[in-house]
Amino acid sequence: MDNNKYSVINTHVHNIDGFAKVTGRATYTFDVTLPNMLYGKILRSPHPHAKILKIDYSKALEFPGVVGVVTGKEDTLGVKQGIWRRYQDLCDEQVLTVDKVRYIGEPVAAVAALTEDIAEQALDLIEVDYEVLPAVYEPMEGIKKEAPEIHEGFERNINVTRHIEWGDTDAAFEEAEYVREDWFKVGGQHHVSMETRAAVSDYTPDGKLTIYHSNQSPYYLQALMAGVLGMREGDIRVISRYVGGAFGGKFELDGAIFCSAVLSKKLNRPVKIIYTREEDFIASKRRTPMFYYVRTGVKKDGTFLAREAKVFTNGGAYTGMGATALYLTGFFHSFPYRWRGYRFDGYRVYTNTLPSTSMRGFGAPQAMFTSEQQIEWIAADLGLDPIEMRRKNSHYPGYEVPGQATIGSCGIDQCYDEIQKWIKDKGTLPDNRAIGISACGFMTGGIFNWFDTPYAFSAAMVTINQDGTVELHVGAQDMGQGSNTTLAIICAETLGVKMEDIKLHASDTDHCPPDLGAWGSRQTLMTGNAVKMAAEDAKKQLLEFAYAHAHIVSKTGLNIVYDLDIKDRWVHNVARPERGVDYSELVRIALRGKEGQKIVGRGFYTPHRKGMISPAYSYMLQGVEVEIDEETGKIRLIDSLTAHDCGQPINHLGLIGQLEGAFSMAAGYGYLEYMPFEDGMLMNPNLVDYHMIRATEMPPTAVAEIDTYEPEGPYGAKEAGEGLTNPTAAAIGNAIFHRFGVQMKENPIRPEMILNALKEKKEQEKAGKKK
Amino acid sequence: MEKQLLTLTVNGQPYELYINPKTLLVEVIRDHIGLTGTKRGCSTVSCGSCTVMLNGVAVKSCSILAMQAEGAQVTTIEGLEKNGELAPIQKAFIDHGAFQCGFCTSGMIMSAQAFLDENSNPTEWEIREGIEGNICRCTGYNSIVRAIDATAKGEYK
Amino acid sequence: MIHDFTYLKPSSLKEALTMLEEHKDECKVICGGQSLLIIMRQGLLVTDYLVDIKHIKELDYIQFDAKAGLKIGATTTHHTIETSDVIKKNYPILVAMENKLASIQVRNWGTIGGNLAHADPSGDPCPVLMALNANIKVGSAQGERTMALEDFSVDFFETALEEGEVVLEVQVPTLEAKTGAAYQKFNLLESDQGMVAVAAAVTLNGGGTCKDARVVLGNAGPKPIRVKKIEELLIGKAYNEKLFAEAGAIASQDCEPVSDIHASEEHRRHLLGVLTKRMLKQAWEQAKG
Repeated sequence: MDNNKYSVINTHVHNIDGFAKVTGRATYTFDVTLPNMLYGKILRSPHPHAKILKIDYSKALEFPGVVGVVTGKEDTLGVKQGIWRRYQDLCDEQVLTVDKVRYIGEPVAAVAALTEDIAEQALDLIEVDYEVLPAVYEPMEGIKKEAPEIHEGFERNINVTRHIEWGDTDAAFEEAEYVREDWFKVGGQHHVSMETRAAVSDYTPDGKLTIYHSNQSPYYLQALMAGVLGMREGDIRVISRYVGGAFGGKFELDGAIFCSAVLSKKLNRPVKIIYTREEDFIASKRRTPMFYYVRTGVKKDGTFLAREAKVFTNGGAYTGMGATALYLTGFFHSFPYRWRGYRFDGYRVYTNTLPSTSMRGFGAPQAMFTSEQQIEWIAADLGLDPIEMRRKNSHYPGYEVPGQATIGSCGIDQCYDEIQKWIKDKGTLPDNRAIGISACGFMTGGIFNWFDTPYAFSAAMVTINQDGTVELHVGAQDMGQGSNTTLAIICAETLGVKMEDIKLHASDTDHCPPDLGAWGSRQTLMTGNAVKMAAEDAKKQLLEFAYAHAHIVSKTGLNIVYDLDIKDRWVHNVARPERGVDYSELVRIALRGKEGQKIVGRGFYTPHRKGMISPAYSYMLQGVEVEIDEETGKIRLIDSLTAHDCGQPINHLGLIGQLEGAFSMAAGYGYLEYMPFEDGMLMNPNLVDYHMIRATEMPPTAVAEIDTYEPEGPYGAKEAGEGLTNPTAAAIGNAIFHRFGVQMKENPIRPEMILNALKEKKEQEKAGKKK
Repeated sequence: MEKQLLTLTVNGQPYELYINPKTLLVEVIRDHIGLTGTKRGCSTVSCGSCTVMLNGVAVKSCSILAMQAEGAQVTTIEGLEKNGELAPIQKAFIDHGAFQCGFCTSGMIMSAQAFLDENSNPTEWEIREGIEGNICRCTGYNSIVRAIDATAKGEYK
Repeated sequence: MIHDFTYLKPSSLKEALTMLEEHKDECKVICGGQSLLIIMRQGLLVTDYLVDIKHIKELDYIQFDAKAGLKIGATTTHHTIETSDVIKKNYPILVAMENKLASIQVRNWGTIGGNLAHADPSGDPCPVLMALNANIKVGSAQGERTMALEDFSVDFFETALEEGEVVLEVQVPTLEAKTGAAYQKFNLLESDQGMVAVAAAVTLNGGGTCKDARVVLGNAGPKPIRVKKIEELLIGKAYNEKLFAEAGAIASQDCEPVSDIHASEEHRRHLLGVLTKRMLKQAWEQAKG
């Protein structure tokens, strides 16, 4: 990868939203105020499972300053919606529920008042009669015959099942010379975006609805809101200009957007709803907790033969994106290795707890925590080198995961080299430290059209102004990961202009093309391809005029064997780059040639014939050096190196930020971020008791970039930032394994758990039992 | 509730407001004066996104009664730039990509600026301790530490 | 949501105490407010009058005298204590403790008096000051009284302050020569409160045996616990790591830690034992010089 061949790509480009963000000018939904605006608050269910018999809000209406109250029954169509629109039975959530509550915190009514204080006081005046129903909180309880039915028609509360299989798994197990089976309990996690859920809905009596909402996909929210309100998509505008973090939790309908819209529609005034941090914890959605059974069969020389996994996930009260998480955990549980026989059976079970949904990593962090640890234990059981054992079984470019995917570029092999070198250079570690590694691979955007959209997955438009500045319209959404900058970079490089020439338009359904939005690490590849196509289209139109213009032909010394291109605003003969004209000159010529119409380039992308999962896969191997205090069990992260294959990096600063940020979230999943529930109630819905890494806990996070080229991605790029959330919990677990020889089968791994494991190990050794 | 008079200086400008005394400083800044650069992210004095400078020191404006800022000099993120020229710390943040979603950034920069005002030659650990009161969910902090370190070393004017 | 109150801003201590006497149980004192506003926001504290003493300069001071020891006024911020040269020189343990207390922003505005009056069992200053044998002076319009700090914390968030009284001053005696002190809290994050904490102070005789020892457990019960049994164990003895381990065993029994989502009671007892052992060793070695 020769960085010098690009003018903009993989150079030190500043984030184009940086100026607004570091000066306090960036206006998030949190900051939006509109004239005549009211403030809304949501009344939430105190019960995990109950029928709503009656809601009496007459006293609330009398409270001075209260303007209106809405309930699901009186003020909504009662539409059961969900993001998996293709499968109606998975659309199970009314958001503002009508007949029944299914988790503590579910919205039951909403109030709009002149001030937030008044709205909050009014909540206490709403009387709700519930018929409390028995509840279940764990999937293994939820599937019992006698368990209460949470959703009608879902026998034993089994919400979704998934089966993935290739090869003859049983035969492969027969051939195995060593078989190991383990059970794991993998935890949930909360997104904890710094901006809590927020929405400002402005319905006007002419039937138009404008919504300010921080989300990952303005198009999704526009379409979903149209569905639940019985409105046309075109009469709804969603604006999501600056988003204070999302991490997978903000592309579905939430209580803020829905209740504010319903209130606004009833009262014909703008209504703003902002969740408190506590509400955000208890009434959004979370990463899916899972029970994992893993059985693996290998040859004594470490050749992987058979893998079987049975997984029960705690789906919580509604489906959300849980169906995807269930599939992806099963798919990535096989990564990054070749299995002769592979079988995964997943069951997503409804419970009366906080709904589970997508969260950065999308089921893969759970999969890696189990797979990568068990593989480490197998290597130890057989006395094999854990890196070499992984290496000989890994994917390679062109490998076909039978029936599932064809791997394009794959740099995992070089990743092993980098980490091996790093470990070797470290030499002998102090007694209380150990290194753990974890491999993984991840998707670059999803192929399956579960949203049932008729639109191309991504689209882009490039318009050239008479002064050469460029309007770039995309539907992709920047939630902090830097897609605005990445796409502007691709546009600038392709068109041959500079970054400061690009004005990016995004985050507004009125002005931007539909795009599936920011999830599954899709935008650099999918929207990037659309942008590249649009910019190439615009450039081609420009150059057509150049080829036909006598003056330019003469200046550039053109004949039929020569090409023109544009680079750094210089329209030139590719073979003789010094011969050219200024880009702005060509723009004016083209404008006249098009009878005064601006040049508009269009692009789009939908993956076709790319398998079942994703058009491309990233790969990585991460090593983490961990210090563990033997007497207290306290963990300290000392150092890390991630060898990372994301194809061609596009946004250099963005890439580093994604890697470091993913590490902090993934490490939190490994040893800090526990979410204890008691009788369906989250016990730590605040930032004191929910532990997240701060600056004092972060170790160095070096990257070794592996040079590959992904044919499916723009300029060879594939994903970076979500895959990196996958390995760290397993790496920490493996470090603990190497330090103490104990196997941590539950995460987050807390000091008490380590000490208990050590105690158990001592007792077993005393009793003369081995392992 | 009878409103009380509060006079204070924000970003060099004098303000005279009548407020309910239970009003928090962050509410005066965001809702009364209209400076929305300062954010709120929690109700337990944990996240630091509301950090401003009060008489030169970093404080969490969500946990200070506005009345306690009587006669004080308050600096918010909007007050760091001078005549359109960004402060060195702001330039450093841009150059190091020390932000992503940006929601914590105002508070983080105010903490960083106040920290550097007091400790102009910090070690890396001191920098990390200096921003310990600010949560960032996006960056993993290391780019922020690099930006503060570079600013301390005078790399930005 | 904070409930409405009438805001009173006395300009002197005398005026403040008069207000407290006038409004009796209908008023509450606010200083830094770093803890108070949280519980007011949660509706756990409702008051008709809020008396703001944050700006009373007469209570903002640090005085040190080689004989009389250290006196810190109640409205002195944590930051002032953390950066005080005289405290750094004579009571470095206090600077170390302040450095780990909450975060910079909280230390810039929160005060030592407010912290002690709040009586959060996981508070850092109280166990450390108790290990240093500190006293606390409180006062009302009727007069002042001084008591040992270990008698000041009474229960969860409850102190010996009577109606109309406010914290005035913390007094720390001069440390004898050959005294060492150490404090550590156990937490997952540097900025967290301690799940448990241990403060230890050791004074040695000329011959190196223990002249005096004090171990105070933090967040091990409704208030900080001074483990007298450990003092009895150590006084007169020589440096012996086995002794420290034994002290740890005593500490792990002589307390009433809770079980909660962060740690079980058993784990807290275990941690208290480990920390006691370590802090005693650290304090002793510091005392040796």
